[in-house]
Amino acid sequence: MSRWRSIWLVARREILERGRSRGFILSIGFTTLLVVGSFVLPAVLFGDKQATKIGVIQPEPPGLTATISTMSAQLDRKVEVVPFADEAAADAGLTDESVAAVAEVPADLSGPGSIRFAKESDQVITQLVTASVVALRTQAVLTEAGVSPAELQAAQHPPTVDALDPQTDADESRFLFANIAAVLILVGIFSFGYTVLTGVVEEKQSRVVEVVLSTVRPRDLLMGKVLGIGILGLVQLGVFVAAALGTAVVTDRFTLPATTPAAIPLLALWFILGYALYSTALGFLGALASRMEEASNASTPVTMIAMASYFVAVIGVINDPSGPVAQVATYLPPSAPFVVPMRAAFDAIGPVEILISIAVTVVGIWVLFSVGARVYAGAVLQTAGRMKVRDAWRSAGE
Amino acid sequence: MLEVIDLAKRYGPVVALDGATFSARPGRIVGFLGPNGAGKTTTMRCIFGLARPDRGEVHWQGQPVDRAARLRFGYMPEQRGLYPRMRVGEQLSYFAQQHGLRRRDADAAAARWLERMGLGNRSKSKLEELSHGNQQRVQLAVALAHDPELLVLDEPFSGLDPIGIATMTDVVRERAKAGVGVVFSSHQLDLVEDVCEDVVIISRGRIVAAGAIDELKARSGRRHLEIEVVGSDGTWLDGHGELTVIQRSGDRVKLLVRDDVDLDPLLARARAAGEVRTFAYQPPKLSELFMEAVTPAADPAKAPVAEVIP
Repeated sequence: MSRWRSIWLVARREILERGRSRGFILSIGFTTLLVVGSFVLPAVLFGDKQATKIGVIQPEPPGLTATISTMSAQLDRKVEVVPFADEAAADAGLTDESVAAVAEVPADLSGPGSIRFAKESDQVITQLVTASVVALRTQAVLTEAGVSPAELQAAQHPPTVDALDPQTDADESRFLFANIAAVLILVGIFSFGYTVLTGVVEEKQSRVVEVVLSTVRPRDLLMGKVLGIGILGLVQLGVFVAAALGTAVVTDRFTLPATTPAAIPLLALWFILGYALYSTALGFLGALASRMEEASNASTPVTMIAMASYFVAVIGVINDPSGPVAQVATYLPPSAPFVVPMRAAFDAIGPVEILISIAVTVVGIWVLFSVGARVYAGAVLQTAGRMKVRDAWRSAGE
Repeated sequence: MLEVIDLAKRYGPVVALDGATFSARPGRIVGFLGPNGAGKTTTMRCIFGLARPDRGEVHWQGQPVDRAARLRFGYMPEQRGLYPRMRVGEQLSYFAQQHGLRRRDADAAAARWLERMGLGNRSKSKLEELSHGNQQRVQLAVALAHDPELLVLDEPFSGLDPIGIATMTDVVRERAKAGVGVVFSSHQLDLVEDVCEDVVIISRGRIVAAGAIDELKARSGRRHLEIEVVGSDGTWLDGHGELTVIQRSGDRVKLLVRDDVDLDPLLARARAAGEVRTFAYQPPKLSELFMEAVTPAADPAKAPVAEVIP
């Protein structure tokens, strides 16, 4: 039987056993809910897409509705004007909350009129209606005094608004995308890397590893385990990304950067590389322990390195995506999985740099796996207490 | 045929194996005996490549054992171990596939062996939901499901009730009849005597006795003699120097004699003393052979026997 079949059998077992477990299904459901919720909830809670309705009692001065609409556009607030036949109908509208406010302005603009709310007054609505009424009445006075409509319009033209370094929607979503990528990779490494760790310790603790290793090579067992759990990780990442993209498109919450189609495979690739690196380390360190508590101790150095790499990426890259910190971290296997997708999200890394970084990381994984597999082979059958890396290395020596 | 050749293994200062050599032939059941810490488990681990010997080799069909050969072996380790939360049927099928069976064949073998072990309705149960004895049956089924040519079982009967033992011994006998070589270790020597044709006795990492049980018995220097003489005062034995009295109860006496003792004078004495109802001359039990082999004593007839003979 080929080694690959043996590795695949191990991987398949992991996928079937863990993929069917309640924990995995719940975590996928929870993730999806979280993603969809984080897009949908703000829309529901703050309702910023919904227009505020303002009632206007008829007859109204000509041009009031149009002026209110123009003004509301300047205030970045959606407003809809609802005409009411009389005061009683308007009050009923306020009471049943079909309108937020009711304006009553004399049709001949002989007075400023009134604005009425159900309970609390809304500053923006008050200013909006006030400004509209004042503008109409000023216009009427000035027109009567012989000022031409063109002059009037010119005088009422608002100042232009500009920014020295304008923040575009794309910038905002890049920043968001970079952060989400780093968090996804960190979460992936922790949740699925630790699944590898606990899996190794469980096999050792239940002694099933002795039965398995009577036919499977230790390095094949480790590889199959990393592979199988990694596929589950990728499935979860896929669900996450699909949920996020789907909800973003449906709710139209923010503009996806033009680089999105290329960024997703890159994110998946670095997820795989980061997971492979860290789960290999966690897997063979787990073999040194004979109990779960020892395993979490043994894995502390890996946890520290992962956290440090994450912070280097988040702080260093966001500060200066092409700075020296970001550049160096690109070529270190532990930090590359965090740094490269972030730099790519900021469009601050070229394809050559990415390729070199991938190559360096793949070599890093290969070296770590070769060392790790031997330590794993030496340690996984020793059940007496916690082993040292060096002893495990020696005991597996040829 | 499995050949274990001159295996030596140290764990730090502890010598686990010190030149152990023996073989197991197809169709024969070999009892692999030895006191605790004698090297049984280490030997088995060396057969499966789970421990690397410092010296010596294990051969299968004349070739050093490699992974391809091990796929034809079945192993039940002393420290039982299966996946606690995995379903029993899938678990059996998984291990059979790891031994090279196709999935469909493995599924069929799993179902067949669960049926054979009386667990046909537990295929979908998780292992941890089974009783200890049933988990042990599953463990044996894991060793058997891929239809191995060699079975290596480390203490397969420990912790089982008599029904469990009967099931297990039936299966082992049946496999041997089908031509499978079986090596199993046990401390239940009466059971070994019932089940095995051959034994290998290991002590302090060395093989101290090996061969067919009957031959070993015949070769042993000691014999049992049970004599019942009615109507004597029991003094007829006094003064006979070549005997060790093990037990005396009423008219019955159990003796240990060397195999070169001439029995005629003894029988004549007994007849003179009274009516002889029993005069039974028997080879030693396996447990005595075992004690004899693992206890460094000069004279076999003077070896401490009282401890092992009830």
